[in-house]
Amino acid sequence: MLFSSITYLFYFLAAFLILYFAVPFKLKNAVLLLFSLLFYAWGGVKYALLMVTAILIGYVFGILIEKFREKKGISLALTWTAAGAILAFMLYFKYTNFFIENINSIFGSNISFLKITLPVGISFYTFQTISYVIDIYRGVPAQKNIVNLAAYISMFPQLIAGPIVRYVDVAAELKHREHTIDNAAMGIRRFMIGLGKKILIADRLSELCDLLKTTDEKSVLLYWVYGISVALYIYFDFSGYSDMAIGLGKILGFKFLENFNYPYISKSATEFWRRWHMSLGSWFRDYVYIPLGGNRVSKWRHIFNIFVVWFLTGFWHGAAWNFIVWGLFFGVLLIIEKFWLYKYLNGSKIIGHIYTLLAAVLSFVVFNATDFAEAFTYIGGMFGAGDIPLATGEILYHIRSYAVIFIMAFIGATPIVRNTVVKLSSSEKLGKIVNIAEPIFLIAIFLIVAAYLVDGSFSPFLYFRF
Amino acid sequence: MNTRIKNIVVCVSMAVILFSLTALCIFMPKDDFLDAERRPPASFPEVSLESIMKDGVEYNDSFMSKFEKYAIDAFPFRDEFRTLKAIFSNYIMLQKENNGIYFADGYASKLDYPLKDEMVDHAASRFDYIYKTYLEGKTDNIYLSIIPDKNYFLAEQNGYPSADYEKMIADLREKTDFADYIDIFPLLTIDDYYKTDTHWKQENIEDVANALLSGMGSEITGEHTVNTLDNPFHGVYYGQSALPLPPDTIKYLTNEAIDSFKVTIAHPTTSKPIESTVYNMDKAYGKDPYEMYLSGATPYVVIENPNATTDKELILFRDSFGSSIAPLLAESYAKITVIDIRYVPSNYLGNMASVFGYDFENADVLFLYSTLVLNSSKILN
Repeated sequence: MLFSSITYLFYFLAAFLILYFAVPFKLKNAVLLLFSLLFYAWGGVKYALLMVTAILIGYVFGILIEKFREKKGISLALTWTAAGAILAFMLYFKYTNFFIENINSIFGSNISFLKITLPVGISFYTFQTISYVIDIYRGVPAQKNIVNLAAYISMFPQLIAGPIVRYVDVAAELKHREHTIDNAAMGIRRFMIGLGKKILIADRLSELCDLLKTTDEKSVLLYWVYGISVALYIYFDFSGYSDMAIGLGKILGFKFLENFNYPYISKSATEFWRRWHMSLGSWFRDYVYIPLGGNRVSKWRHIFNIFVVWFLTGFWHGAAWNFIVWGLFFGVLLIIEKFWLYKYLNGSKIIGHIYTLLAAVLSFVVFNATDFAEAFTYIGGMFGAGDIPLATGEILYHIRSYAVIFIMAFIGATPIVRNTVVKLSSSEKLGKIVNIAEPIFLIAIFLIVAAYLVDGSFSPFLYFRF
Repeated sequence: MNTRIKNIVVCVSMAVILFSLTALCIFMPKDDFLDAERRPPASFPEVSLESIMKDGVEYNDSFMSKFEKYAIDAFPFRDEFRTLKAIFSNYIMLQKENNGIYFADGYASKLDYPLKDEMVDHAASRFDYIYKTYLEGKTDNIYLSIIPDKNYFLAEQNGYPSADYEKMIADLREKTDFADYIDIFPLLTIDDYYKTDTHWKQENIEDVANALLSGMGSEITGEHTVNTLDNPFHGVYYGQSALPLPPDTIKYLTNEAIDSFKVTIAHPTTSKPIESTVYNMDKAYGKDPYEMYLSGATPYVVIENPNATTDKELILFRDSFGSSIAPLLAESYAKITVIDIRYVPSNYLGNMASVFGYDFENADVLFLYSTLVLNSSKILN
């Protein structure tokens, strides 16, 4: 079930909110768990059983790890067993066919692909459960209440697109959290902004990307527009989902950590990754990079550690080589910056911005490609390869048609609007105007988003075209 | 308004909207038919263990997947929300089109680009099949004519991408060299089309009918009385655009000859011949008034002209544009058989000749198709 769907908003979410706020606090986590499992089962009932298995592993092993904490060998073995078992699910469902494909192409074998559908959100709840058992091993008290732990692991607001919430960040809130009007209003605002980002910007740019991919009239300008659209689309899609998750968490009394912080204003790839998918970056930092030794090792080992992290970052995003190349591309940039480029980028803001945006656009073209051939064609096209014209009438038409959306996306990718609202709100007079405008703005977004969702199913009977 | 009150207003207003719409989703009576889209809505899916347990490649057939479709189609004030989206998209986002529909010079049209070579090839192959199977050696009077769609007059001139019409015509002519081409492009302007619909206006195409008849060596038609239908015509683009456009007016031509025509069409379910009329007044007041012309979508229409001064017969292969011009062509023939190969496979045409009483021997044969169909010709069987 997608957040940006009629079923989610007007059936699932409405029913959940009524029940959640109707029951006493001691039952709220049970309601959250129930609806999270329902949310998950909506995409395939048997995958909900997979999640329940992951929850049981986390619960049982969490208690065992805590019990044997003083016996380091046993608790370490338990931690590895639990993390390995949970990771095995993800490896099987997400990567089996990738491995089969590569084995077949390397060894010329003919192993059949397995009929596996990727369970929604498996990458997120796998990492959350792994972080939970590792944190228990590191000394965090285990959760004894299985409903609370299950509610944490399966929590639907951040289940399908993050942020990756650490157990330690919500442990206290699972036990006690406050539900206030102020938090709810803040949560609603954040949810609506996320919904708007997803429907009004990300989906529109995705639509444009599809158009540009299918057209026969390729040009240099088209490839650039495509690259910029992909970079913006992925950002608004992903950060929009994170906004919705954080907002919904706020309504429910949770405080999830931020996942994006205007990455496109970065002046280096290093800064970009401090602002992009922050929960994943910090997960790899705390559970892979630092355990490998981080930067407190020899130079070559440090470089190796960086490559491992970025290989895994790419591979986590998808079971295909273009994701791995995408991750390693950033690994290479980060190494170059760390040992040489960073001081120069800090010296010139403009060059730093241009370099980072260029790197992001090129990387997301690779990220979004169906295979390497497509990625090479598109990047080559951006630099004039393939005997194509500079521009065609068709791409100029698309630029005109999507101009307002691009302007919204460019502005929305910077903190200009947020800073302006904060500044206006701090003024006594203008603050009142902002307070009046905010509900109107949110209502408008809600209705317009509903309108887009309803129209999304528009499908006239073919005959009537003619 | 202080921040505390604002927060209360935000919570209350959003809750009211969310829960009101949810209540309406559940309790509001559902439409039987989506007029704007001219299709029935998705129905509430069957609840069964089997349909709930479907996933993976079978997911599209699951209860959950079908419920998502139902939920969207059953959304309260669906048309009003679609209008809101169209207004926002057109006037706030300044998008040049909404669901492919754009407005230019007061006309609504649907983008249809680029030229799809494989579609033109497919159309040519169907025409070639008909020629080789039924016409070769029986008649030499074979003609081809192409009807430009509205984009020909609107798209490029208003900065919209447009198909390469010249190439389409050249390619089709080259691949159907058994037919003589009759060019009607110069006779048409955008004024000859409805503002809210795909089709041309019958009252504006007498000159086109005469050009076709003249090209086929037949006499041109006589004078007509113009009749106006007292039912506003909201064409197909009216519903698709979701904007409150002023309706068109349907006019239809009559004269003594047309009034005397004996019309037979294929029964909608059995395909057996049944009597009909040139202008179906039930359809004129139905969901798509353009269907009044020869009763709309049907594989076969036979028009017999008892007052004809000739014994010539015409076989007209056509799409829906042909419905409104066929009566004008019929005045110059003893009988015309109108065949729509979107609704009957070409390899059935021989079997059905005795049922509908047509004969290719020495008949004039005209392939008359719009560029819209030629560029989406997979629907030609």
